[in-house]
Amino acid sequence: MSKSSPRRPFGRNTGTVTVIEAKVHRSSARNARLAFILTAVIVGLLSAVVAASYMHPILALFTGAAIAVPLGGVAWVLVRIWPVLRVLWWWTPEIGITTLLGAGWVQLANHTPGPVTLVVVALVVGVPAALPASRRALVAWTWCLIVRHRLRVCFAQFIIANQSGSLPIILWAKPTPVGERVWVYLRPGLSLADLEGRLDRIAVACHASAALIERASDGNAAYLRFDIKRREVLTAQVGSPLVDVIDPATPATDRPTPAVPTALDLPDVDVPTITLPAQKKPPATANGSKPAASSSAPEDDISDWI
Amino acid sequence: MTIATAPTAGIPVGPGLSMFDPIFVGIDEFGHPVYITLAYRNLLAGGEPGGGKSGLLNTIAAHAALSVDSRLVLLDGKLVELGQWEDCADAFIGPDITAALDVLKRLQLVMNNRYAWLRAHGRRKLTAADGLSVITVLVDEIAFYSATVGSKQEQEEFVALLRDLVARGRAAGIPVVAATQRPSFDIIPTSLRDLFGYRAAFRCTTPNSSNIVLGHGWAEQGYTATDIQPTNQGAAYLIAEGGTPRRIKVAYLSDSQIAGIADYAAWIRRPRPLPAQVPDLTRLDLGMAA
Ligand SMILES: Nc1ncnc2c1ncn2[C@@H]1O[C@H](COP(=O)(O)OP(=O)(O)OP(=O)(O)O)[C@@H](O)[C@H]1O
Ligand SMILES: [Mg+2]
Repeated sequence: MSKSSPRRPFGRNTGTVTVIEAKVHRSSARNARLAFILTAVIVGLLSAVVAASYMHPILALFTGAAIAVPLGGVAWVLVRIWPVLRVLWWWTPEIGITTLLGAGWVQLANHTPGPVTLVVVALVVGVPAALPASRRALVAWTWCLIVRHRLRVCFAQFIIANQSGSLPIILWAKPTPVGERVWVYLRPGLSLADLEGRLDRIAVACHASAALIERASDGNAAYLRFDIKRREVLTAQVGSPLVDVIDPATPATDRPTPAVPTALDLPDVDVPTITLPAQKKPPATANGSKPAASSSAPEDDISDWI
Repeated sequence: MTIATAPTAGIPVGPGLSMFDPIFVGIDEFGHPVYITLAYRNLLAGGEPGGGKSGLLNTIAAHAALSVDSRLVLLDGKLVELGQWEDCADAFIGPDITAALDVLKRLQLVMNNRYAWLRAHGRRKLTAADGLSVITVLVDEIAFYSATVGSKQEQEEFVALLRDLVARGRAAGIPVVAATQRPSFDIIPTSLRDLFGYRAAFRCTTPNSSNIVLGHGWAEQGYTATDIQPTNQGAAYLIAEGGTPRRIKVAYLSDSQIAGIADYAAWIRRPRPLPAQVPDLTRLDLGMAA
């Protein structure tokens, strides 16, 4: 539907509010005209055909036109305000939460005396903040909201997908122990491989330590899963459950005491007693395929793949 | 029918694990347990010294030692990494390439016989119901045998035998688990390295080293073992069932825990089955004996 995209719908940092940029404004006007004509023609023809079975064809044409023009107008308005609608849609969770909180506050303030209001607010704010589990959950979900916007900033700012600049659809997000996981539906012009080259920049934009992208569906290459990592969780030592299945009263196996070697320090070892294992050639020749090249080949790089 | 009460003391009861069961190796980033099924797969572990490779091998050895349908063949150039399992193992080879070659040749024979046996039964792979033991071959420090000790011929023979085991042993129930610090072509040939289905990359110093362990191209996709903290030993990227590397933390067994499990395993295995009885070594039999 929309062929246009504002780079910065709201100039949030500068303080000025540019809802629709000039270029976008022009293409939006063209799209709106197109939408008006298309809708009007299709709706008009359809309704004329239907009306023709009830009345005279010429009357039916007029009826069709009467229905088509208002509907075309609706389409025109929708396309014209589409950028604004899209911004509203992006911020729906925040708008919804703010509205709910505001409405709740107003209701509370209207129906309870002042001290009670304060106590209730203190409880509603304080209890989740005081309980570590709920506090962590709140913070994690807040990060989910933030990360969705940050990802959109990535797509709008440095992952230019196509000429009209349509942005991928950023679906839901959920917290994971290491950070967040966001599902994204790509629009034409992007692919998983394009994004993999920009993982470091995505991580920076999301204030995270690393980002990973995986396909979320085997059947659809456009459906991706972003894993944003901002914590290292694998630091604790993990025990093995096998320790619990054994019988602690096991009789120890009687092993013959091995001959305990002496000469455990450097001065204890005479020079002639050292027998180095026979080592004829540099180990590289174990490869067998390229004995000549491997002795001079650099350790790293592509030669490892020979 | 009278039921004789069995003497409760002195009769060891195995935990009933099987090598065909998934082996617990650790947890992933989501706190979920990570299992690998080793019976039909080979695993290669790589990473810098002190990364935790031997820890992974010990975790696998513990499962294998406690499994009733399993035999252990241990090759350990350092003697101490797998040395505690010596009593549960059918073969424990130290820094001795001749002994290593002998045991690999024996394994090759067993493998050939098993394939002949499978063919005679019109089948293609061993299953848990066959009652044959899974012979897990654990090699710590492949580089020691393939590039350090012995003559060049011996090293090449070692690589050739190991490659044969890795290539063909899978369906015959002879999985190979090998560890080495950097499996580049001068340590083990690429043709051998690429046969390992499962990869575990412990901390590496360069993305290239990580790619050598995990396979080409993973570092570019963001899976590089360089981002593991040097202090976080036992953390690794594991490519197993899922196909994409997973960040895991390997379960760790302390020396005394290994000693306890090894003693117990040696105890439940004490009446070593004679070779003629090997086909009877099923879980069912043990269950009835218990
Ligand atoms: N899963 C783990 N959890 C916690 N600590 C671990 C773990 N694995 C290893 N470590 C610690 O790291 C140390 C070295 O581990 P390990 O001997 O397994 O390294 P390695 O990779 O085998 O080294 P090398 O290449 O020198 O043989 C261990 O002594 C232990 O303290
Ligand atoms: Mg080791």
